[in-house]
Amino acid sequence: MTIENTMVSHRNETQMGMVAFAGAALAVCLICLFYLVDIESTASILGIEQLVDARVPNFFIRLVLLIGALVSAFILIINTAFYKRNRIVLAPWIFLSVGLTFFIVYVIIPIFTSISYSFTRWNGLRRADGSSTAEWIGLENYRMLMEDPNFYTSLWNNLLWLVLFMLAIPIGLGIALFLNQTVTGIRIYKSLFFFPFVISQVVVGLIFGWFYEPTFGMVGEIWGFFFCTEETNIVGNVRTVCSVDPPHILGEAKYATYGIIVAGLWPQIAYCMILYLTGLNNVSPDQIEAGRLDGAKGWKMLRHVILPQLWPATFLAVVVTVIGALRSFDMIATMTSGGPFGSTNVLAYYMYDQAIGEGVGRYGYGSAIATVLFAIMLVYISYFLWQMYKDEREGR
Amino acid sequence: MKFSFKSVLLGTVASAFMSVSAFAGDLVINFDDLNPGPKKAFEEAIEDFKKANPDINVTVNNTDREAHKTAIRNFLTNDAPDITSWYPGNRMAPFVDAGLFEDITDLWESDPNLKDKFAAIKPTMTRDGKQWGVPYTFYQWGIYYRKDIFDKLGIAEPQTWDELIAASELLKENGVTPFTIGTKFLWTAAGVFDYINLRTNGYEVHNDLTAGKIKYTDPRIRKTMENWKQLIDMGAFVPNHATMSWQDAIAPFANGDAAMYVMGNFSVDGYKTAGIDLDNVDFFPFPEITPGIPRAEEAPADAFFIPANAKNKEDARKFLAFVAQPDTLAKWNATIGQLPPNSASEINQDDKFIVQGFDTVSNAAGLAQFYDRDAPAAMAKAGMEGFQQFMLDTSKMDEILERLDVVQSEVYK
Repeated sequence: MTIENTMVSHRNETQMGMVAFAGAALAVCLICLFYLVDIESTASILGIEQLVDARVPNFFIRLVLLIGALVSAFILIINTAFYKRNRIVLAPWIFLSVGLTFFIVYVIIPIFTSISYSFTRWNGLRRADGSSTAEWIGLENYRMLMEDPNFYTSLWNNLLWLVLFMLAIPIGLGIALFLNQTVTGIRIYKSLFFFPFVISQVVVGLIFGWFYEPTFGMVGEIWGFFFCTEETNIVGNVRTVCSVDPPHILGEAKYATYGIIVAGLWPQIAYCMILYLTGLNNVSPDQIEAGRLDGAKGWKMLRHVILPQLWPATFLAVVVTVIGALRSFDMIATMTSGGPFGSTNVLAYYMYDQAIGEGVGRYGYGSAIATVLFAIMLVYISYFLWQMYKDEREGR
Repeated sequence: MKFSFKSVLLGTVASAFMSVSAFAGDLVINFDDLNPGPKKAFEEAIEDFKKANPDINVTVNNTDREAHKTAIRNFLTNDAPDITSWYPGNRMAPFVDAGLFEDITDLWESDPNLKDKFAAIKPTMTRDGKQWGVPYTFYQWGIYYRKDIFDKLGIAEPQTWDELIAASELLKENGVTPFTIGTKFLWTAAGVFDYINLRTNGYEVHNDLTAGKIKYTDPRIRKTMENWKQLIDMGAFVPNHATMSWQDAIAPFANGDAAMYVMGNFSVDGYKTAGIDLDNVDFFPFPEITPGIPRAEEAPADAFFIPANAKNKEDARKFLAFVAQPDTLAKWNATIGQLPPNSASEINQDDKFIVQGFDTVSNAAGLAQFYDRDAPAAMAKAGMEGFQQFMLDTSKMDEILERLDVVQSEVYK
């Protein structure tokens, strides 16, 4: 009895000590944050200006103070009687708070600030005193968008990406069905087919850029085999002369977007294939057996027995393919930078190009494009969330 | 920075009695070129400056050029250095208009070098009648050509448009594409446009166009495009230019498949790397088109500026005055193979491109910065896309020019 009592009181004592310490720490951190934030003025108050190079540690010290304040606040909160009574309700929110904070700071707030920028003409600069140079112009940016042929090109290209990228799903399924067999070394073949998905998009873009190159790339070489001959030029070097000029896939407005989409499909097919391969592992052999007894085979078997069982994989494949199509930014950046003359832009790239890229600096206009893109995405996202919500409710 | 305990103590005591700026001797300089040559030239200049001013404590931040373009938008407001490198012309305009650069007209009026020896470049450093920076280097543009091919076909350096067309036809007949170019990153096409425009209409029209005072559908600009069309339609440019960068475009030039290149002097290093014997390459200024128009040249400059939020503007001015000295600029530009903006600087007499470039530029009636530095960025982007489209399909000329008029009316509002 006595031993136990001592232990409890001991624990209480350490807890009390912790609370007192956390309280003190919180107070110190907050005071520092609010009153002593400006290191330079603090230094001048204390008369130690020479000790502090104000340019470097200011941000770092603030960060340390902020983290200190958060940790001590956390310790204080979990020691309150209110928290102890409602622990089950409150605990998840404490853990969520970190993620939520970042989500709000880096996702929610930027969405609203960029919508607000879209009503201004702004070159992204602030004056020496920190005030923004933005000028309110109402819906002017949107009116300009409506008249901007580049905007329609980007919108059309986005649509092309969405539609043509869907090809990855049937092709991925085909390859998965083909690879879903047991022969020697099948694992090697599977990994080889999966390989492009492992490579970075930027590298895929570069590889295809060289592949399409009409003079020294694969396309050029194959074309050269049929239509070109080599001859000696005026200074005695070898040069190629073609009876029909090779196609400049990335250099001509009418082919360039298709060229990039094909490059993008390469890793996307691999992704869909792997989704279907895992899906095929889970297809129940009983049902196949039953189907076979009923005389189903070939197309009928696939259509009525296997595909329905692959529905979860298909749903996932559609989702990642749509996301992939909307994420096409890095391919475009590495292969054409939106060119020739803006013909391969998609909304995401056009937005970057107008606001940040190459110092064009039309932040207001770029934000208007971002807002339109957001509105389009919102349709897809709401459908997706609704579908998930429905599935979950049915599952319950 | 290091202080002994004693000096800290003394400083503490001193600061208790009087308010002295603690950073009087510190000078922070942001520079934007990590390429070996420019980096070396910059560091040598800093060393010389330190030797001349031992009491100034110089800190240097040298970053990559593209990163600098992004970073400058933040650091001018939030964490300004005392000196930063940037570009004159319209590239400095947004910063000047937002009040982020220090007006240094006083320095231009008092410094003996800036007062008298920078006359050619002064207009590009001027906005609203005031000067904002000090240029440390610039380079000429013109036509670089394969001298061996020209000699073999008996072509002399063309002096007029007709001679250029005739030379191009002769080259074509002999299986050589007259011009190489790579328009993937657009600005190279603007170089050709600028030159044809400067020679067709002159310096004033170039300035008025980039300042938004003339429309793109103006008959004078149409005339420029017609001249350009003449070259394009005869197949004077390499066909797959839209997928090549300016470096890629050196390949046909090096191989002898193309004979001329409208370029800036920084490309000479590229010819060397591509394995061309520089004895086989030479330079001539872009030939005359409309007779009697004073010859203006493209000569983009790089410069140093003092941010409005700089802490040590006094020493920053000392540094700018140091940069403007003829010796400093001579040594600097000898290292990077470009032209010193101070007309009293010595140039490297062994470099034929520098000698010809200096001659071309110092006798020019006016110096243009470059289409994408003279025009506002949003206009330049649309304009250069238009030029690239035009080079791919000249039949779209009217459509392109009308489109550029629309952009112009929005950008210059």
